[in-house]
Amino acid sequence: MIKKISVLLILIFLTGPLGGCWDRKELPELAIVLGTGVDRTADGRIRLTVQIARPSAFVAAGGGGGGGGDVPAGLVVWAEGETIEDAEMHLETKVPREVYWGHNMILVIGEEMAREGTRMVTNFFHRNRQPRETIWLMVAKGEAKDFLESHSALEKTSAQAASFLARMKLGYSVSSREFDEMLASKGVQPVATRVEVKRAGTTLGPGREKQPSNQKQVELTGVAVFREDKLIGWLDEHETRGLLWLKGEARRGIIAVVPSPGEPEKEVSIKIRRAKTKIVPQYDGERLLFNVVIEAEGDMLEQQSRKDLAKPGKIKALEGAMAEEIQKRAAISLKKAQRGYGVDIFGFGDAFHRKYKKEWRKLKNRWDREFARAEVNISVKTHIRTTGLLTRQPYLPEE
Amino acid sequence: MTAFLKPVRAGSLRRGKSKGRGKLSAGQPEDAGLSGAAWKDQVLSPDLETNLQQIKTILNNCSDVIYREFVFAQNEQIRLALIYTDGLADKEQIGDQITKALALEVPMAAPGQEITKGRALDFIKQRGLCVNEFQETGKMRDVIRAILSGDSVLLVDGHACAIINGTRGWASRAITDPVAEPTVRGARESFIETLRTNIVLVRRRIKSPSLKIKTLRLGEVTGTDVAVAYIEGIANDKLVAEVMSRLERIKVDGILESGNIEELIEDNPWSPFPTVNHTEKPDRVAAMLLEGRVAILVDGTPFVLTVPNLFVEHLHAPEDYYERFLYTSAIRLVRFTSMAVSLVLPSLYIALTSFHHELLPTPLLLSIAGQREPVPFPVFIAVLIMELVFEALREAGIRLPRPIGVAVSIVGALVLGEAAVRAGLVASSTIIVVAFTGITSFTFAYSASIAFRMLRFTLMVLSAVLGLLGLISGLAVIGIHLCALRSFGVPYLSPIVPTTAVDLKDVIFRVPLWAMFTRPRLIARQEQKRQIPGLKPTPPETRPKR
Amino acid sequence: MLERGKIDSKQAVFLMIALVLPTAVLTVPSVVAKLASQDAWLSVIVATLVGLLIARLVVSLSLRFPGKTLFEYAEEILGRVPGKVVGLLYIWWFLHTNAFILDEFGAFLGITILPDTPFLVFFIAGTFVAAYAVRSGLEVLVRYNQLFLPLILGLLCVIFILSAKDMKVARLLPVLDTGLVPILKGAAVPVSWLGENVTFAMIIPFLNRPKEAYRVAARAVLITGFFLLVSVLVSLAVFGPNLTRAWIFPAYNAVRVVSIANFLERLEAAVVAVWMLGGFAKIGVFYYAAVLGSAQLLGLKNYRPLVAPVGVILVALALLCENTVVLFDFLGRVFPPYALVFELGIPLVLLIVALAGGKGGKKS
Repeated sequence: MIKKISVLLILIFLTGPLGGCWDRKELPELAIVLGTGVDRTADGRIRLTVQIARPSAFVAAGGGGGGGGDVPAGLVVWAEGETIEDAEMHLETKVPREVYWGHNMILVIGEEMAREGTRMVTNFFHRNRQPRETIWLMVAKGEAKDFLESHSALEKTSAQAASFLARMKLGYSVSSREFDEMLASKGVQPVATRVEVKRAGTTLGPGREKQPSNQKQVELTGVAVFREDKLIGWLDEHETRGLLWLKGEARRGIIAVVPSPGEPEKEVSIKIRRAKTKIVPQYDGERLLFNVVIEAEGDMLEQQSRKDLAKPGKIKALEGAMAEEIQKRAAISLKKAQRGYGVDIFGFGDAFHRKYKKEWRKLKNRWDREFARAEVNISVKTHIRTTGLLTRQPYLPEE
Repeated sequence: MTAFLKPVRAGSLRRGKSKGRGKLSAGQPEDAGLSGAAWKDQVLSPDLETNLQQIKTILNNCSDVIYREFVFAQNEQIRLALIYTDGLADKEQIGDQITKALALEVPMAAPGQEITKGRALDFIKQRGLCVNEFQETGKMRDVIRAILSGDSVLLVDGHACAIINGTRGWASRAITDPVAEPTVRGARESFIETLRTNIVLVRRRIKSPSLKIKTLRLGEVTGTDVAVAYIEGIANDKLVAEVMSRLERIKVDGILESGNIEELIEDNPWSPFPTVNHTEKPDRVAAMLLEGRVAILVDGTPFVLTVPNLFVEHLHAPEDYYERFLYTSAIRLVRFTSMAVSLVLPSLYIALTSFHHELLPTPLLLSIAGQREPVPFPVFIAVLIMELVFEALREAGIRLPRPIGVAVSIVGALVLGEAAVRAGLVASSTIIVVAFTGITSFTFAYSASIAFRMLRFTLMVLSAVLGLLGLISGLAVIGIHLCALRSFGVPYLSPIVPTTAVDLKDVIFRVPLWAMFTRPRLIARQEQKRQIPGLKPTPPETRPKR
Repeated sequence: MLERGKIDSKQAVFLMIALVLPTAVLTVPSVVAKLASQDAWLSVIVATLVGLLIARLVVSLSLRFPGKTLFEYAEEILGRVPGKVVGLLYIWWFLHTNAFILDEFGAFLGITILPDTPFLVFFIAGTFVAAYAVRSGLEVLVRYNQLFLPLILGLLCVIFILSAKDMKVARLLPVLDTGLVPILKGAAVPVSWLGENVTFAMIIPFLNRPKEAYRVAARAVLITGFFLLVSVLVSLAVFGPNLTRAWIFPAYNAVRVVSIANFLERLEAAVVAVWMLGGFAKIGVFYYAAVLGSAQLLGLKNYRPLVAPVGVILVALALLCENTVVLFDFLGRVFPPYALVFELGIPLVLLIVALAGGKGGKKS
């Protein structure tokens, strides 16, 4: 027994210095990537840009050996190669640590690269175990490198800022897994978040009054539209709202601005609290019809008119206006997709597949053409729950 | 090599041996080797002088033994001798009840009945002695044992027998608060070093004829009194028999503490886990006995052993049954969690920060990475060093006199921890992990926490080598070991596995006392029922009629 | 008798769950979705029903020979030499299947958490832990399993509930998209996994209430089937059929996706950890079956001396597998027919011969 135990102990303690520790990587040996960008260079190569965190900037001031302070929180490095992995290898020659993808939050694809096709980008990120399937996929208007080189005044790095923006889901945010799912299905064409670099607002601080910031910051500005894995166009922020309505992704926090009843020049804002979209296809072998039913519920949060809108009749009218507004928005996006790009980015095909299994087999390979000529009826049901804390503009007598 | 060493070794060996043998054959009284000395089988002779001579030879050089020779008051022909040990026997009692009674105040014999040598013994026994208890013996072995145990031995000339008077009375510690098991609520008495007092403390709590106490004497030299207590009808007879047989096979020179017995009777001597429980609280012993366990009380130590011992016992505190059940259940949850933390946390920290960085949330990882940036050691080494520092501090705290102990903890906590972080030698997250682990290991029984402390280091090595794989493999092996372990025939992990559903009532969640209908099934096999049903307090009108 | 331990019915149910679930829960969704797309869950239901039949066959065969394992009654039914041959075949099958379980164990760890570590290390770790349990006897193996299996099942449930946020029922539609044939084809793989329950024939003699064996087997198959079903449904509802069939371990990826309140995320550590505990149990049961079978075949009085050599053979067999592509191809295509010979074919033949020859079955 003693012999056995001692043999066991010796084995345990020997495994360390002998062959062991294959996978051990101490934190200071890692270059933690927070954001990645992929661009196509002019000569057809792939340029991989990474934003790497500087850990010492992430420690509360005072602790851990004088971190904090004004240490820049990240650095941006790039390298070129034939494939992503190849580029990563070249990257390793510039970064004195091992490039580590486990905490990568965003993958930004440059416009040129996206037009070329995203498949050669995303494959690496799925096959490799480190990058997660929850990273946000974004398409930069312009170069991804510029995007990563921007700055965030509130967050430590622009990658974090962009991922937090995406997480709020005010626009249409796509994780790489969702993108791949859309890509794999014939009943829907993928979209991805569009991002741009814009001039930032003023940073406050002593001695900085009135000094305009020359920093650039990131902004989500709509979505990129794909056919298969190739970028073919954009939807701006307004059209993206329509996309959200049609995909049933309209979440909390979206605002519908509608004209005040009786006073078309004054506006009322309604904050959407809940929304649901149902797509019902109808097909008789010839004519393809989609009935889209959108149900939305919201609270009135702002009015420009002086009238008391908190009356059952007025609210009814407001609900009507809201329905019209939503319908209009959806129709704009739909038109752009059908006529402008000719791709089904809404998943009508999937809905069709669910209902017409056999017919789908015939249609699926020319779905986008079918979609482009399909008829779509959008009907909207709306409901306003509350008018916030106010009933009407408080300081004026009713007219 | 052996040839080179042989002469030296053989010589020393032989010398040692011959010395031992010589002692044995000479039968010198002070010798009490394991094989037993010659005097142990001697019997007393009718002649007082011979007896005294023999005793004096046996107790040669024992200056604390007092020999008092005197004559019987009624008949000066009758010589008496009283032998006792100074300090062990109560001198006042001896003076009042024996010496004075026999030498001065013996009542007159009935007329016509002269007290002769032949009748002296009976007369002394029936009318002469005033002591509370006495015993008669003819064996030298008993005489010697009685003298050395604090009893006084009266020899009467002409009789081959001795009267052993119960006069034990020595200075002993008062009953105080339990030191190792402090409680907020519950009895504050703790056992002391005197076996008799300890038995009293148990008996006072269980006033039932079913409480049986068997005594035996262990340790060939020390002759330590050991008592085995159990409740007949509740404790399993086989268990009692097993305990007795395991105790009876002990043949060693000395038993100085119940720990010595523990090591000689436990089921798996190689296991890091204790399979015999110990406590210094009489109320806890009483509770254990009521559950059908057997207690082993040992003279000379306040720690009483109880068997069989289950793993979960170490996570239960005596107060668990005195506080209300909701609080008990909640606090036990804390204890169980602490146990898991104290075993796993440092290894998990090592595995996550040096192998599986993707498993930590991003902000946490970046924060830890920032702290680690200036640290020159790998995580494993840093944690190992800090754990060793912590263990050293703890040991120092126990060993040092109390006032200095405080200074040690100040040096440890402030100077070492704070300075190490300031100097960038250790990450503050490492300190937090080690400190938290340390604190959690204090939340449950000390004996079990020792096991966890040892295993913690093994797990740390494993996870430093193989990450999560090492950690989980280690845990699996520990799990298998625990599953294989038994304490006096009862599976150590029961009632968790093998699962006895009814006994899960008292593992993490403790059901209210009025729902504790049965005793642990695997321990108390004889009488399961504990109480009548329907004890749940209810308003008078809804109370079921009995 | 070689094994003196006795196990109760609840422990047997747990053991049978551990016999199938740990590896199956990870890979079944992907393998089945490849064939049956979003109808994979129907395949699992079909497979569970077939699994019930197999379990019933094995139990009724075993109960005809109370107190005897497969190896002992094979000799009784077929005679000495053919019985020994069947025994040898089963030893091979236990070892070979176990080697593949080890391979999966290694592949999973190698792909997910320890990419730079040689597979040999995983094999040795898995075999070592299982060997320790096997050496300690059936009772200990069973208790170990009873200790950790509830943890595994509980965690699976919790994690599946947590991923509800990412699920969409629409991904499961349309039902019966491509008809029944792909569903039946897809059922073949889970059937071969559930059929691993044939190993139960080595355990039945040690039940303290053998009469409950039917109920034990049925309950175990149903519970296993339920968890397979949930795992398939979750994978499909989170990823849809197209991604599910692309992943190797869809259930694992489903856990990676979980993110609650931006902090409760990256939970796969818990899954990998707990899954390993289950893996040890599964390896242990097959290991035990092989060791006990060999001892009975060789007529030994104690099976413990065989633990170490069998372990060495096991690691060696596991090393023969070239790469994960071969492994998963084997598991998807070759394993079902190969395994069904042992899971269904031989027991069926044994039962028929026993019935024809009137052997066993004396109600004792």
